[in-house]
Amino acid sequence: MKPLTTARSLAASLALTLALAGCSKPEPDAGLKVYRHSAAGVPTNIDPLQAATVYSNLVVVNAYDTLYRYKYLERPYTLTPNLAAAMPKVSEDGLVYTIPLKESGRYIDSPAFEGGKGRTVTAHDVVFSLKRHFDPENTSQGKWLWAGRIKGMEAWAEAGADYEATVPGLRALDDFTLRVELTAPFPQFVHTLAMGFAAVVPPEAVAAYGRDLGTRAVGSGPYELLEYSKQQVRFQPNPNFREEPLDLEAEGYDPSAHAAYGLADLDGKAPPFVDRLEIDFIQESSARWASFTSGREIQFSGLPVEQTEAVLASKDPITLKPEYAKRYHMESGPEAGLVFTVFNMDDPDIGYHEDPEREARNRELRCAMRDAFDWEARNQRFYSGLGIVFPGVIPPILEEFDASLSRASVAHNPQQARERLKAAGWNEDNLPVLDYGLVSSVLAREMFESFRGRMVDVGIPREKINGETFATFGDYNRALRTSKLSIMGYGWQLDYPDAENVLQLFYGPNASPGSNASNYDNPEYNRLFRQTKTMQPGPERTEIYRRMNRMLIEDCVGIIGLTRSHVSLWHKDVKGLPDTAILGGFWLRFVDVDAATP
Amino acid sequence: MQLGLYLLRRIATGIPLILGVTFISFLLMVYFGPDMTFELVGKNPTAEQIAQVRIQLGYDQPFLVRYWHYLVELATLDLGRSISTGESVRSLLAETVPVSMALTLPGFVLGNLLGIGLALLAAWFRGGWVDRGIMAFSVIGMSISFLIIIIAFQVFFSSRYGINYFPVRGWDMRSLGSYLYYVTVPTLAIVFVSLGYNTRFYRAVFVEEIGRDHIRTARAFGAGPVAILGKYVLKNSLIPIVTRIMFSIPSIVIAGSLLIESYFGIPGVGKLAYDAVTTGDQPVLKAVVGATALLFVVVLILNDMLYRAVDPRVALK
Repeated sequence: MKPLTTARSLAASLALTLALAGCSKPEPDAGLKVYRHSAAGVPTNIDPLQAATVYSNLVVVNAYDTLYRYKYLERPYTLTPNLAAAMPKVSEDGLVYTIPLKESGRYIDSPAFEGGKGRTVTAHDVVFSLKRHFDPENTSQGKWLWAGRIKGMEAWAEAGADYEATVPGLRALDDFTLRVELTAPFPQFVHTLAMGFAAVVPPEAVAAYGRDLGTRAVGSGPYELLEYSKQQVRFQPNPNFREEPLDLEAEGYDPSAHAAYGLADLDGKAPPFVDRLEIDFIQESSARWASFTSGREIQFSGLPVEQTEAVLASKDPITLKPEYAKRYHMESGPEAGLVFTVFNMDDPDIGYHEDPEREARNRELRCAMRDAFDWEARNQRFYSGLGIVFPGVIPPILEEFDASLSRASVAHNPQQARERLKAAGWNEDNLPVLDYGLVSSVLAREMFESFRGRMVDVGIPREKINGETFATFGDYNRALRTSKLSIMGYGWQLDYPDAENVLQLFYGPNASPGSNASNYDNPEYNRLFRQTKTMQPGPERTEIYRRMNRMLIEDCVGIIGLTRSHVSLWHKDVKGLPDTAILGGFWLRFVDVDAATP
Repeated sequence: MQLGLYLLRRIATGIPLILGVTFISFLLMVYFGPDMTFELVGKNPTAEQIAQVRIQLGYDQPFLVRYWHYLVELATLDLGRSISTGESVRSLLAETVPVSMALTLPGFVLGNLLGIGLALLAAWFRGGWVDRGIMAFSVIGMSISFLIIIIAFQVFFSSRYGINYFPVRGWDMRSLGSYLYYVTVPTLAIVFVSLGYNTRFYRAVFVEEIGRDHIRTARAFGAGPVAILGKYVLKNSLIPIVTRIMFSIPSIVIAGSLLIESYFGIPGVGKLAYDAVTTGDQPVLKAVVGATALLFVVVLILNDMLYRAVDPRVALK
C-alpha cells in the first residue's frame, strides 16, 4: 500500500512540475523589435467613415494614408505632405485645390486585390474615399466636415450615389492629380485631409469586405494591421510602404528639447523602424499602470490621476521623482482641446427670453453662476492641479489664443456673484430650477456636487440645481443634442488646429442637434463667423476670432474653460516622442526600440 | 418514449419563457436603452441626416414589428451585425464565448471542488475551530470587493511590487503553456471570490444532511468520517449541488466575467455584452439575451435529467 501511495505522490508532483514548467510566457515576437503602445480608450470601429475618436483615428492613420499629416515635432501643429507630393496649389479665389499625389503610394497585399498583390494608390481612390461619406448607404461620422462644401457632392448623393458618375467638385485629373472645387473658400480644408476620415480606401477592399472594414484594414499606411480586437491591435510594417527617410530638421527637431529621446539615431532612415507595433486599449487606469510598471508589457502610459502624487516630484514645472526619472522618459503639455460647461440659451429659465428684461436678468444669473464657480478648485480636485485654466474657448495650444485676455471670467468671485443676483432681483424663491446633466459615474457625480456646492455658497438653493443623471454617455448625448438640459458640461478635442473648430461650437446654425449645445445664437457673432469662414489665417482673422471669443465671455454663455495637461511616460528603451492628441497619431511610424524581444 | 415525450413537453413549456424574457428585455432596450443615433450622425447633422440614421437603425419602425424581426432573427440564427463595429454578431459570439468559457471554467470548477471540500470539513467539525476558521475565511472572501481582489492580485502576481511573474493583460490559447500563463491569475481571483459563497452554501446543505437519522445510524454502526461524508452526506446532497452548478452554467457561457475581462484585457463575451448595454448596440444585446434565455431552457431540461440520474426516485413527468 505504501509504495503505491509514494508512486502516486511522485506522479502528482511530476504533473504539477510539468504544468508549472509549461506555464511560460509565449513569445510569438521573439527576435523582433516590438513597440507596445497603450491608449486609455477603445476604437469601436476602424473604418475611416467612423474615425471619430482619438482611438479609431490612431489606428486609421497608421493603417491608411492621408494626403497630409502633421509634422512630428513642430508645434504649433504644422501640415506637411503625406501621400500628397506637395502642399496643394490653391486658386486665387480659394475655391480650387489641385493636389499632386506621390506615385509611390502602394496598398498592402490583400486578397481584395487581383492576384492578392497591393496596387498603386491613385487620385481615383481619394475621390472614391471622399464620396463614400456621402453615399446614403453608409453611415459617416465625418460627413459634416465637407457637407455643402464640395461642389456637386450633395447632388451626386441625391442622384443615387453612382460611383461611376462624376462629382464636378471632386475629380481625378489623372492618376496622380486631384482637383477639388469648393462651393466657398474653406481655409481649414487641407486640415481635414489630414484626418482619419479622409484616409484613402481602395474600392476593391470595400467591395470585398464591406462593413467588415470596421475591424480590418486594407490601406497604404506605414503599417499593416495583423489583428484587431477591442483589447489590442497588432501591426507589422507595410512592406509596400514608400521609402521616405526621416528628415528630423524638416519635422521640427530641436536638440535642446528633443535630444534625450534618441531621435538623432533615426535621422535619415526610412520608417517604420519596428517589426511589430502593438497598441493595448486599457480603460482601467490601475491595470494600465500595473502593465506599464511591470516592465514586460506596455511601454507607454499616460500618468493616472491617482498616481500623480506618488510619481511627480513637482507639478510646476512637471518633474518626476528620481526613481521614476531613472526608468522612464516623461513629456508633458496642454492637450489639444478643452473642458467646459455651457448654459442652454434656448431655455427661457436661463437663456433667451421673449421679455428683454427677463433676458437681462437671465444673463446676470449666468454670470453670477460663472463667478461662483471655482476653476482652481476644480483643477486641483479633478485634474491634479495640472490643468491650465484660461478665459474663453480658444485654448492655449492654438496660435489664436489670446494671452492678454482678462482672467476675470475664470476668477472665483462669490461676492460678485451674490451682488449680481441681488441687483438682478434674484432670490431663493424666484430662482428657476435648472437641470444639470451628468452621466452616471462617481466622477461625474462628484463634479456635479462640487458645482452645486459652489452655487449654494452664493445663495442658490440646493434644490434649484437638479442633477439629471443619464445611464450612459449615449443617453446624455441625446439630451444634449435635443436641448433637454439647462446646464451641460463636456469636453472638446480639436479636429484640427484652428480656432474655427471651437468657435463653431457657438455658431447659431450649428445649434441642436448640431455641436452648438448651448444654442447660442448671436447675430453679430454669426456674422463674424461667416466672415471668417472664408478668410485665410492671418492677423486680421485672428483679431476677429478673438473678438468672437470676447463676445462669448461678455454674454456669459458658459463657464469656460480648462485645458487638461497630459503627462506621458515611456520606457527608456523607446526612441520617440509620443503624441496622444488626435492630431498626433502619425508619430507611431517614427517610433523605434533599442533591442529585439529576447 | 417517455423521455422523448418529456423533452417535447419541456421544450414546449420553454417557449413561453423565451418569449417572456426576450419581450421584456427588448422592451427595456427600446424604451430605456441608449439611442445610438447621435453617436453615428457626426457633429453637425441636419434633421434629414438624423432621420436617415434612425431608419438605418430601424428606430422608425413600430415596437411590435421590431420585436417580430427579433424573433425571426433568433429563429433563423441570422443575428445581424454589430452597429458599433459592423462585425457579424454570430462570429462575434463564436469568437468570444469560447474565450469566456476557457477563462471562467477553471475557476468555476476549482471554486466548486474546493468549496465542497471545505464545506464537508466545516460541516463535520461543526462549531469547532476548523468550522470557525473556514467560515471566517469565507466571510472575508465574500466581503472584499471583486475589484479590490483583482487589483491586489495584479499587484502581487504581475507587477514589480510583487513577484512579477504573470502578465497583467493578454490572452493566448495557442498552447497549454501560454494558456496557463494568462489564465492563472484570473482563475485565482475567481476562486478566491467564489470560494466563500460556495463554501457557505454547501456547508448549510451538508450540516442539514449530517443531522439526519440515517447518518446517526451509520455513525452508530461505526462508519468512519470518509465513508459517512463521501458515501452518505455528499451523495444525498447531490440535488442542491447539481442545481447550483447547473444554474451557474449560463453565466459561465454567456455572461463571462466583465471585471476579469476588462482588467486582464481578455476578449470575452462579458465585456462584449457590457459594451453592448452601455452603447446601445442592440443586435449584440438581442443575441446575448436570446442565447441566455435559450441556454436557461436547456439547463432546466438537463437539470431535471440529472436529478433523475442522481436520485432514481425522481420521475420525469
